[in-house]
Amino acid sequence: MSVKYVPVIWNRTKFVYDAVVLATVGAYLGIYIYVAPMFQTVTRPIDWDIYKAQAFGTCVFFLLTFILCIGPMARLDKRFLPLLYNRRHLGVITCVLAYFHVDNILGWYNAFSPINRYVSVFMVNTSFDRFLGFPFEILGVFALLILTILAVTSHDFWLHFLKPTLWKFLHMGIYLAYALIVAHVALGALQSAAGPFMTTAVGASVALVVTLHLLAARNEHLIDTQQNDVDDTGKWMDAGDPKDVPDKRARIISITDDERVAIFRNGKKLSAISNVCAHQNGPLGEGKIVYGCVTCPWHGYQYRLEDGKSPPPFTEKISTYRLKLENGRLWLNIEALPPGTYVEPVVSPMVAEGS
Amino acid sequence: MAKKKPDPFFIGWAKKPPKSLQGFLFLISAVLVGAAAGVALGIGSSVPDPGDARFAWGAGYQTFTGYVDAKPYPLLRLPAGEDGRDKPHAMLISGVGKRGMQQLAGPLDGQPVDAGGILLKRGDLDMLQVGGKVSLRAAENPVPNFTPAPAEHLGKWRLTGEICDGKCYNGAMRPGVGLAHKACANLCIIGGIPPVFVTTTPLLGSEFFLLADENGEPLSSEVEDWVALLISLEGEVERRDDLMIFKVNLDSAKQL
Repeated sequence: MSVKYVPVIWNRTKFVYDAVVLATVGAYLGIYIYVAPMFQTVTRPIDWDIYKAQAFGTCVFFLLTFILCIGPMARLDKRFLPLLYNRRHLGVITCVLAYFHVDNILGWYNAFSPINRYVSVFMVNTSFDRFLGFPFEILGVFALLILTILAVTSHDFWLHFLKPTLWKFLHMGIYLAYALIVAHVALGALQSAAGPFMTTAVGASVALVVTLHLLAARNEHLIDTQQNDVDDTGKWMDAGDPKDVPDKRARIISITDDERVAIFRNGKKLSAISNVCAHQNGPLGEGKIVYGCVTCPWHGYQYRLEDGKSPPPFTEKISTYRLKLENGRLWLNIEALPPGTYVEPVVSPMVAEGS
Repeated sequence: MAKKKPDPFFIGWAKKPPKSLQGFLFLISAVLVGAAAGVALGIGSSVPDPGDARFAWGAGYQTFTGYVDAKPYPLLRLPAGEDGRDKPHAMLISGVGKRGMQQLAGPLDGQPVDAGGILLKRGDLDMLQVGGKVSLRAAENPVPNFTPAPAEHLGKWRLTGEICDGKCYNGAMRPGVGLAHKACANLCIIGGIPPVFVTTTPLLGSEFFLLADENGEPLSSEVEDWVALLISLEGEVERRDDLMIFKVNLDSAKQL
């Protein structure tokens, strides 16, 4: 959390995260470029520039695959949440590597010609009506454009400027970029420049991304389709037995398909707040009460339970909801209160602290 | 009293991750680095063989004396012995980079010439990248008693294969074939490098055919749509010395 804009708010976790990413990228590129050629069965080696382009290009593809797997993995197993914390740095590194790929391609395949290498990308193959033979380079250009926009707007300045909803929508473009890159690889490298291992690895990567997203989506669907009784006024929803809410944790109630409420318990006190973090729309209900504040599992943004405000000097605030206790059951008022509205927590004498 | 179950919770800005997560995170980090190394080794070591095509830099600057044919694309007609071969040889030529030799070869069509440059070789195939001091000029000392033999007509054929640019296929790029190389091949062809047809099965011992239109002229830009695809083409085959020329109508092209 920050109250002012600085280029990067470094902390120990980010240093470790980036060190692991750089070690992974270094291992990939180092072994691809310098070790793997010793095991090749080729009459003569592939041109150095083309080989480097392959190394950078495949590295970008697998990094993007990994980036897209982090989200659903964290939904399916919370131990993966730390991978999500600094995912933006991973995205920026991926974008930089993509430029190395392009530089090697343009400096070799598109060079040595009277036609400008940048112009040539758009004019030398215009078979847009073909499947095989389609100018797959254009798909890569669009993907690079998206990656660049995402990298440039990855800083929290843009998140605050565009607001989380629009920023999030923009950054969902990573899926379009991935689809374009899959097509770019399938119509290009896999048609002639790839061995069986790469074809298998690309296929497995795409299958992994799709499978993890389907599994996570099934879990989300189960939450969204849970049935909760609503009273005669239509304003109060049965939120279950307060004992079912674990201490320092939350129970997530789905009011509509796109509105969820997190009911947190802090000892005997229960409070309801929006499930959506004001920072990046993270799932607050999967967070935990730390130092008396609800803490977002994604980036650690914190909110007070009783009014949904971040503790000073931070200024974020989220909607709160009213709760009431009737006959041992918890009832949630489904009308969201304006962000930052104070609501007295409900005290449930039936739940034991720390249970 | 029952022991409280651990409830680890990661916070990025905290000094350290929870102890119960540290082992898992270390394992994930090790798996990531190991997987990256394994995948890199797997992909990098299993790349398809691009063949032995190459620039023959080791042979140094070469000069040849023979005749030049400007159509369909410039080629040298060399007498037996000139290229170390025991029979007359027709050798494709190109300029430096992705440039053809039409401008220099056109005025010299059918005349004895000296040509100098660097050879590209792919097995028995070769091409001369013309440049340097000699470049392409009227022969200072034409080979005596040598006139290129007329073309031999070998009939009409439908052949299956891939259109490439003659220079990259002969060694300017490795690999110089396939869809990943299509943009490069098109740039070469646009620049005047001769398009060639590499067949899946040999015809009369040859898998390498210089392409021309039905009239023996250079192909139209339509050829760029068919480059790097597995196609079949129909046309007349003729032979000049040891070089096959496939005179095709691109309307006959079928993608396979």
